[in-house]
Amino acid sequence: MGDTEVKNRKVNRNKNKNEKNKEIPNPAVDPRDEGDGESTPEALPEELTEEPILKKSASPKKSEKKQRKAGSATAGQSLADLPTLAVTCHFNLLPMLLFGVALATRFYALDQPNSIVFDELHYGRYAGLYQKQTFFFDSHPPLGKQLLALAGYLGGFQGDFKFDKIGSSYNASVPVFAMRAVPALTGSLLIPLVYMIMLQLNYSQWTAALAGFLFLFDNALLTQSHYMLMEPIILFFAMSGVLCVLKFRALERSGNAQAHSYSLRWWGWLLSGSIFLTCALCVKYVGVYSYLLGLALVGHDFWEKVLGNLSLTKKQVFGHAVARFFAFFVVPLMVYIGVFYIHLTTLVNAGPHDSAMSSAFQASLEGGLSSIVRGQPLEVVHGSQVTLRHAHGSPCWLHSHAANYPVKYADKRGSSHQQQVTCYVAKDINNWWIVKRPNRTDLAVAAPLDRISHGEEIQLVHGITGRNLNSHNVAAPASPTKQEVSCYVDHNVSMPAQDVWRVEITNREEIGDVWHALESMVRLIHVNTSVALAFSGRMLPDWGHNQHEIVGDVMVNQPNTIFNVEEHRYTRNEDEKDRQLELMTTDFIPLEPVVMGFWEKFFELQIRMLFISNENVQNHMYTSSPWEWLVLTRGIAYWVSPDSNAQIHLLGNIFIWYSATIALAAYCSLLVFYLLRQRRQCFDIHEEAWNQFRTTGEVLLLGYVFHFLPYFFVDHTLFLHHYLPALAFKLLLNAALVEHLYYLTRLVFAKQFFNWMCVLIVLTWMSGILMVFNKFLPLCYGLGPMNATQILDLKLRETWDFIVHKP
Amino acid sequence: MTAPTLICSKNQENGLNIKKMKNSDSIGFKLLDQFRDGRNDKIWWRVFALLMIATVATRFYKLDQPDHVCWDEAHFGKYANFYINRTFFFDVHPPLGKMLIGLFGYLDGYNGSFHFDKPGDKFEEHQYMGMRIGCAVMGALLVPLSFLTVWEMTFSLPAATFGGLLILLDHGMLTLNRFILLDPPMLFFISAAIYSMVKFHNQRHRPFSLPWWSWLSSIGVMLSCSVAVKFVGIFVVIFVGCRTIADLWEILGDLSRPVSYTVKHFMARAICLIAMPTLLYMGIFYIHLAVLSNSGPGDGFYSSAFQVGLKGNYLHDGSTPRQVAYGALLTLKNAVTSGAYLHSHDHLYPEEIGGSQQQITTYAHKDDNNNWHVKRHNKLAPSWNSTRPIDFVRNGDLLRLEHFATGRNLHAHRSLAPITIKQFQVTGYGLDGVGDNNDIWRLEIEDGEEGQILETMLHRFRLIHYNLGCALTCTKKKLPAWGFEQDEVTCNPNRRDPNAIWNIEENIYPRLPNVSFRAYEKNFFQRFIESHVVLINGNSALKPKEGEATSKPWMWPINLRGQFFSGGQLQVYLLGNPIIWWGNLVFMVFYLILWVSVGVRTKRRITVTQREIMLQERALSACGWLWLGWLLHYLPFWGMSRVLYFHHYFPALLFSSMMSGILLDYVIESIPLSLPKNSFNASYAAILSATLLILFYSFYLFSPLVYGLVRYADTNSTMHHLHWLSTWEF
Repeated sequence: MGDTEVKNRKVNRNKNKNEKNKEIPNPAVDPRDEGDGESTPEALPEELTEEPILKKSASPKKSEKKQRKAGSATAGQSLADLPTLAVTCHFNLLPMLLFGVALATRFYALDQPNSIVFDELHYGRYAGLYQKQTFFFDSHPPLGKQLLALAGYLGGFQGDFKFDKIGSSYNASVPVFAMRAVPALTGSLLIPLVYMIMLQLNYSQWTAALAGFLFLFDNALLTQSHYMLMEPIILFFAMSGVLCVLKFRALERSGNAQAHSYSLRWWGWLLSGSIFLTCALCVKYVGVYSYLLGLALVGHDFWEKVLGNLSLTKKQVFGHAVARFFAFFVVPLMVYIGVFYIHLTTLVNAGPHDSAMSSAFQASLEGGLSSIVRGQPLEVVHGSQVTLRHAHGSPCWLHSHAANYPVKYADKRGSSHQQQVTCYVAKDINNWWIVKRPNRTDLAVAAPLDRISHGEEIQLVHGITGRNLNSHNVAAPASPTKQEVSCYVDHNVSMPAQDVWRVEITNREEIGDVWHALESMVRLIHVNTSVALAFSGRMLPDWGHNQHEIVGDVMVNQPNTIFNVEEHRYTRNEDEKDRQLELMTTDFIPLEPVVMGFWEKFFELQIRMLFISNENVQNHMYTSSPWEWLVLTRGIAYWVSPDSNAQIHLLGNIFIWYSATIALAAYCSLLVFYLLRQRRQCFDIHEEAWNQFRTTGEVLLLGYVFHFLPYFFVDHTLFLHHYLPALAFKLLLNAALVEHLYYLTRLVFAKQFFNWMCVLIVLTWMSGILMVFNKFLPLCYGLGPMNATQILDLKLRETWDFIVHKP
Repeated sequence: MTAPTLICSKNQENGLNIKKMKNSDSIGFKLLDQFRDGRNDKIWWRVFALLMIATVATRFYKLDQPDHVCWDEAHFGKYANFYINRTFFFDVHPPLGKMLIGLFGYLDGYNGSFHFDKPGDKFEEHQYMGMRIGCAVMGALLVPLSFLTVWEMTFSLPAATFGGLLILLDHGMLTLNRFILLDPPMLFFISAAIYSMVKFHNQRHRPFSLPWWSWLSSIGVMLSCSVAVKFVGIFVVIFVGCRTIADLWEILGDLSRPVSYTVKHFMARAICLIAMPTLLYMGIFYIHLAVLSNSGPGDGFYSSAFQVGLKGNYLHDGSTPRQVAYGALLTLKNAVTSGAYLHSHDHLYPEEIGGSQQQITTYAHKDDNNNWHVKRHNKLAPSWNSTRPIDFVRNGDLLRLEHFATGRNLHAHRSLAPITIKQFQVTGYGLDGVGDNNDIWRLEIEDGEEGQILETMLHRFRLIHYNLGCALTCTKKKLPAWGFEQDEVTCNPNRRDPNAIWNIEENIYPRLPNVSFRAYEKNFFQRFIESHVVLINGNSALKPKEGEATSKPWMWPINLRGQFFSGGQLQVYLLGNPIIWWGNLVFMVFYLILWVSVGVRTKRRITVTQREIMLQERALSACGWLWLGWLLHYLPFWGMSRVLYFHHYFPALLFSSMMSGILLDYVIESIPLSLPKNSFNASYAAILSATLLILFYSFYLFSPLVYGLVRYADTNSTMHHLHWLSTWEF
């Protein structure tokens, strides 16, 4: 494993300590477990000399402990005050070596394949839209995409590439290497991070290295880090956050916690922990589980160590509570809002996803809707020509056309046979309506303006056909329990026009009583029957051109009854023919454009992201369920070469995944066993070992559960890569369990032989992992021409669907 | 987290009350003290009797109104008919609730003749009261059960009274429990399970005694019954499971007993809470399947082999060759829930869909156009009177399917399917059975060995297109009018789609001996398992439709929007008593605050009076469990993707109301403590009567919602001022 370098350096440095180290071989595991351990941890004979490194990394802690007992500040204390991070990095080549290998694997052939791989389709496109400052809507927060965009920007990306479908080749304008470097770098940094986390959990350097090894040689993590995908970024932030929180805990739990309180380090770890965890949340909302883990750990410590510490006064306890509240609620909120601030201030141009947002939002963007609605009059008056947009859910506009309701419907019910009124999802000339006072006949707008306010009665005249919006006690076409809405046609069947509507502005606290275009949310109440004009959500059959049904609904207070004026202009001609011509024109009266503040935009975006997500990939071929992740039933095809069977397929290292699943089960069984035994006052392992085992559970098992269980309760389509954050905790747990088993072996068997056996088994296991990793490596990079036999050779499980071209 | 024992809690109570007795002279206060004490049997029984009278009065008043079908009665009444007529049907819920409704109707002499077509239909001369009364009785039992549960948890008579009152005076509980619905039996079984649980817990000092055993078995029975009414009963099973684990943990911690003692306890629970309920549950299904022996509207949801067992189903008496040979005339059925037959007819896909070849669909009804000839990919089908050896269809064979009526081959090619455009189009192609290479399909029998002979009904298989590698799939999406609204058939590149599995139902081939279909009949266990698969699929298929206004879990606890039970002239509107519901929310927050503050106090070792500690312990331990119960019955709905309704909240409400009862008692006990000492009784009486007054008045105020609100045309009706929330629609 290329350790010789380390060895040589350390031998010189610690010659005199060697003897001692052999006697107390594994200080990081249980330094107090003296007399028992003759052996070395996972020791190969030639590696014995490396012990000093261990010693070194652990020694600050030891001196710290002594200092605590003495309770005095000496030179040793200042040594202890040095960040452990620095000590480890400077003197410890093992993680550096792992990091080197990580960089090598992650950056190898990074710009290959030079075509769109899987979700690069989305993320690459978003990065491009950032370059163009074009607004887009995505149900995940923007930080990860911002990082990609930044890398793209530095690499000279202009955003000109069209991300059309998976597999299309990039052209020279896309800095593939630069953009893929973000996940590759964060993915590589994961390895030293997990190394440090394991050290922080009091595991030996070898276990820490083993954890790094598992991360390094898992094919899924490698594949994911090799392309523009979010998981490596989110994992990096989450793991950094966890590490910082653990460092903070170490301060909290150290003997002289009070001396550390509010020190620079204390604040540093606390704040960086919460910031990193929030960043994870800002990449994808699943990051919230890492944040909750951090919160749970800090909260638990507060409860136990601060609240339970009776030497602290009430005031001090309160101070600690406030500090933590600040770090874990105020700071994250600031970071989160900051990320969105950048997002919204960068993306000022209208783009393809505008219609997901409200009219006012769209109007605040450059171009797009704003170019149409800019300068349109604000106040709706008698004679206003308007389009009425259904304000919630999927966008559609109140519409009518020169076709009547069929006399009889398919279910034999009759209709009024008047002109159809629908909600149409596209912009159309037939979406224009003219607002009119019931008692006036002229339509041209002239000064003084006759403004329409809340509570006033109006008629709506359909622009092209000139008929009035009408409703009456006839069952609606698709929703028989609701009332039909039509454009009134006098069939002379003693069915009088009931075409007066009352305007109710629902948000007049903010906007005021006068009806404003875009901003006022309006409900139209039918004066005769008190029903509200509503979108029913049903679709009309062929006779209605499959447009959406509009009804009169008794249930007035519901989102489906709310409309707003989107496009708006004043009528200038009395003559109907001229008016129709006028409808075609785009001549506007210039007035002030709509300006929407950051907060309004922020809250609207939040609501749309969190509550109106329609991300539902139907019937995707590579979906999988949470149970299947445990045993790696399905992978995901990411990319396939157009001219050979070379392909990229997301698959974990099956050997690692199975071991980790077994380790998880083993850990849980051991935990239950220990708990049951302890309940009977039998303490099988040393207190130190138990504490370590318990802390592992608190951090790693809890982390795993937090990241895994929620997937059983979501109903959107799930893929294998959703499992990776949980997997990270599982791999750490696996490494931790190996050391615990090693400890148990030493506890049970006095003979050195069994320790060697243990080490041997671990080494065999590791080489097995390497072999499997190597076997599936082609699927990570997608390199080289491969033939069908080679691909089928990799199909270890029947359920893995690789793509094989017909020969 | 254990409820105080009978003995110790009574002693504590007693000690407290003696002190209070001193400064209470009047008879009223004496009564009050006895009420608070709760040990006086006379008072206890009087309170209980009052509660029972009120329960009977409220639950049965005007039970026959409205005399038409209300809301989901349309479903459950119909299901009762099916039981009475013994015809097979399909519903997404397990059978017990409907069986009970059917039984109530049967006992009342109802003959299943009313159609329950739609809400609003008049019952007229039909005997519907039996079913209503049966449901109302089960619903009425909730009040005494909550009263007793709270009593067993706290041994505080005021707390128990409040617990009972909050259920009694809630309009939601009342409305829901007066109609022919599944909720009354389900809520009854849930409450009974909880009551048995606390009762069992209070027997813990007499383990393995007769009452101990009987309460333990009672838990098991009630658990399996609640699951057998609706699957939400699972939550109460989990709740009891948690409690059981906590109990076992306590027992394990008792070092004076050997471990084997814990094992003994564990075994007792395993038998009574796992084994026995499982058997009972299966027994309920056994009765269900035995009673419904006639073919009915539910047949189509089940597999061909299942339908064989239903009298009157055409499969019941049919016979067919067991093995499938080339040349046979087959019908293929989609093997998923309510799968239909592979179908074609002499109509083409419209020009704009592409191909202009013959349509292939699935069709749910028997029809001659469902028949297909099976032949080898490279040979014509041997005629039925040929003498050559019979050539069987085997797993892995390449074959063609020729539509019998039109002579076109089942064909797929690289163009977009009409609706699911990510998949390939399937058409009928060729003339008189002569087609091209795109007609070739490979047979893949599920879990079959290479070369195995295909068998009718027993084998489930996929048809993989030879050239495209995709699987013949029914997408279950309706084609527009040009396709006669039959379901779309595509060739799906995702071969693992569960909709791609088919089986042979009819197999006509005179050269092979016919075997009666009865040979394929499933035994009880297979039918039991298939019923569950179908139930679970049916449940998850209940997705809200696009744009449909659905009820969201966050709306429930705040009583945001009710549910119309009956419109027309006599309106019935399911809505909770707002005072109780909002009070429940307040108490839930109050509990959390109390819990945290007690936690902080313990951590900081702040001392308080003995009395306060006693009061808090009594409230906290009981409320902790009820709070957990509420969470278990409420939170899971947040993750459900199926359609949700307001009435799904009521099991959670049971827990929350009982908790409010206990906390109300705690608050009323605690407030007078902060007042001057000698005014304890007076202030207690004042607060108590104020609370009761508010509760009764709010009940009176909203009671027309339950007993029928005459609809006025104008908005000035008596109920108009009660629109406290604008979302209430009555």
